[in-house]
Amino acid sequence: MSAPFHPDEDGALVASATAGFARAHARHVELVEDPLHLLARRRDPRRRVGLVSGGGSGHEPLHAGFLGVGMLDAVAPGQVFASPHNRQVYAASRAAAGPDGVVHVVKNYTGDRINFAIAAERLRLDGIEVRRVLVDDDVATDSEETATGRRGTAATVVVEKLLGAAADRGAGLEELAGLGQAVAAASRSLAVASRAQTAGAGGGPAFELAADELEYGVGIHGERAATTIPRPPRTELLRRMLDDLLAALPPSRDGDGGVLLVVNGLGGTTSLELYSLFDEVTALLGAAGAPVHGSLVGTYVAALDMAGFSLTLTRLEPGWSELWQAPADTPSLTRLPVDDPEVTP
Amino acid sequence: MTSNDHAAAQGEALLRSYASAVEDAHADLTRMDRLAGDGDFGDNLRAGMRLVVRRLDAGAGTAALQTAADVFLDEVGGTSGPLFGLLFSELARAAAAQPDPTSAWREGLAAGLSAIQRVGEAEPGDRTLVDALAPAVDALAGGTLADAATAAVDGARATASLRARRGRASYVGDRGAGVMDPGAVAVAVLLLVAARELEPGAAGQLIGPDALTAG
Repeated sequence: MSAPFHPDEDGALVASATAGFARAHARHVELVEDPLHLLARRRDPRRRVGLVSGGGSGHEPLHAGFLGVGMLDAVAPGQVFASPHNRQVYAASRAAAGPDGVVHVVKNYTGDRINFAIAAERLRLDGIEVRRVLVDDDVATDSEETATGRRGTAATVVVEKLLGAAADRGAGLEELAGLGQAVAAASRSLAVASRAQTAGAGGGPAFELAADELEYGVGIHGERAATTIPRPPRTELLRRMLDDLLAALPPSRDGDGGVLLVVNGLGGTTSLELYSLFDEVTALLGAAGAPVHGSLVGTYVAALDMAGFSLTLTRLEPGWSELWQAPADTPSLTRLPVDDPEVTP
Repeated sequence: MTSNDHAAAQGEALLRSYASAVEDAHADLTRMDRLAGDGDFGDNLRAGMRLVVRRLDAGAGTAALQTAADVFLDEVGGTSGPLFGLLFSELARAAAAQPDPTSAWREGLAAGLSAIQRVGEAEPGDRTLVDALAPAVDALAGGTLADAATAAVDGARATASLRARRGRASYVGDRGAGVMDPGAVAVAVLLLVAARELEPGAAGQLIGPDALTAG
């Protein structure tokens, strides 16, 4: 593994990457440098609630890649793997607030929780209503022994897509908060890695892993898993991951057992591999009685350049498939209207 | 002098006294935080109060507590800094609405505790600044600032025998045992300073702010 192409100046990576992102996606995104946040340039006129997310950098395209019609209105990026400061979240939320207020989509990490909560207190003092949707999907951290709960990972994209579609239909604050919490509760993820991300500018892996080992249950900040396993044949690995996910997934309340599936690269895994994994996972899920009704394949929630992937399942409830298919126009996720004349024969 | 001017002057004097007490306590706060946290609490608190004093020197005196709120919410790092910002915010709001200083602190301190608990999700006994703030709010409900300061000091001292369950200190388990939580100490020092500034008649019955940290 070679040293990454970071700027020579310490701490300049996030600032310059954010500026570059805004420049490359100027049609979608506006950059505010101080306090650092990004805003969507367009929003559906029916939207009454601003959707705001954020968190440490290093997970791109999360979150800024999902700014735009059908998804997020504002995001606050922190430094690499570090929570944004509360004043970034506060400024982003003030700029994005709709007439009914703001929903914060927060991944379950102590720093993010506290900084978003402080911003929420400040917004309330300003008379802006705030609700929080906490995403905590990682089954690898599902232990009753810790008070911190499961980590938030790739289900964040599912929550942001479904909430964005509902917000564009004019959903109010409580309805969105309830939907977001329900989607988070119906989602579980699990990640494996064959190589750690590069640590800093130095160039070495953040932790050592032999060629015949896998980190089973790795975090998106390079948190090591509870177990390092001998690398099993791929089908055996996928069966084990799906068994763990399906066992942890709450049963469907009203749906037919169908799921949304995200096959997510952790930063150093090719699209070629991800689509091949998707092909097999879809078949295994169909055989397990959990048909895939919607999907996303690609690098959406990275852990810098970690080699590995995560699987996310969301147990669908009635109406959620329509929200998943609803139009979106963002730098990293686009959905055309299904009756678009350009795609309908 | 109107009552608003008087309240502003009191707020400014109180913050200058607190800044001075924080300078004196810095080394002890840092020592406490090194044993159970990441050691930056004293630095963050001192940097925040130094910035508050600079803004007061530059003429921010008419809204001294709001100045402190803005500094701690916007400029101070770590987690505890912005939590102090929320406390100053509520104290500023209460002072603007309520001319009697003890009544203003009664309202502001209670609202600050609620905000801090909503944000930090900490309960009494978790070895955080709530362990000094919550007893102070209880004591102030039917008493004076001097009573609140005494309760905060007792609460801060009791954190020495608590095991952390929230905040960064929770990662080191029992390693912090025997040392007070620096956030709780900083709250107790704030209450000691407030009682001395706002209830001068009662100051004689209180320990000095430096007696807590030097102990």
